[in-house]
Amino acid sequence: MNPSTMTVHTLFFSFAADRMNGRHKTLDLPQGTTLGDMVRQYLEPALGPDSRNWLYSVNEEWASWETQLKNGDEIAVIPPVSGG
Amino acid sequence: MDVYRITKEPIDVASALIDIADDRAGAQALFLGTVRNEFEGRSSRGLYYDAYEPLAEKELRRIGEELKQEFGALHVVLIHRIGDLPLGVVSVLVAVSTGHRGEAFAAAREGIDRIKLRVPIWKKEHWGNGQDAWHHDPEAFPAK
Repeated sequence: MNPSTMTVHTLFFSFAADRMNGRHKTLDLPQGTTLGDMVRQYLEPALGPDSRNWLYSVNEEWASWETQLKNGDEIAVIPPVSGG
Repeated sequence: MDVYRITKEPIDVASALIDIADDRAGAQALFLGTVRNEFEGRSSRGLYYDAYEPLAEKELRRIGEELKQEFGALHVVLIHRIGDLPLGVVSVLVAVSTGHRGEAFAAAREGIDRIKLRVPIWKKEHWGNGQDAWHHDPEAFPAK
């Protein structure tokens, strides 16, 4: 792997999975990418502007926009929930 | 004992009531959510539920801890079923035991409200006309 890049695994649910044509994607990102960078640059084009207002998790815990991503992280895209 | 679970199996209501039993309790409250045959006037044949299971179970546990802190719940059981569910079956269970009835009703009410608001679970409606739609999908449910 190129030392200036890292690989992250992204999970999609509900209609976000429909938009991405799948529940899993692997992304190669520049080192230093934050969660917010990833959403804006790599996900928003497919998921639309509402995706900026959704929740995200990194490694099974809620994460903020400023979270620094690391090689091997698992990111889950959480569109508006509808349990019950 | 407390139970926080996402499951593909039918929800066992009787065992939840055993789980929350406590000699200190003067009240138990049980809420069951069931699959309804319509949504906002459109007929439905059933629901499909998906979840991000590890985070959903963590969030159920957090809600249970809040019900203990805020309402003095002695025991809490929060279970959500996922997968394809036909009309009428139980999709979600909230069971609490408390000292008195007021706290039991309040804790059960807050429990289901917080599940609906926060837990990463999604439902897809199987409409009567054969089409499907994820709830909150802006393409399937345009803003009114």
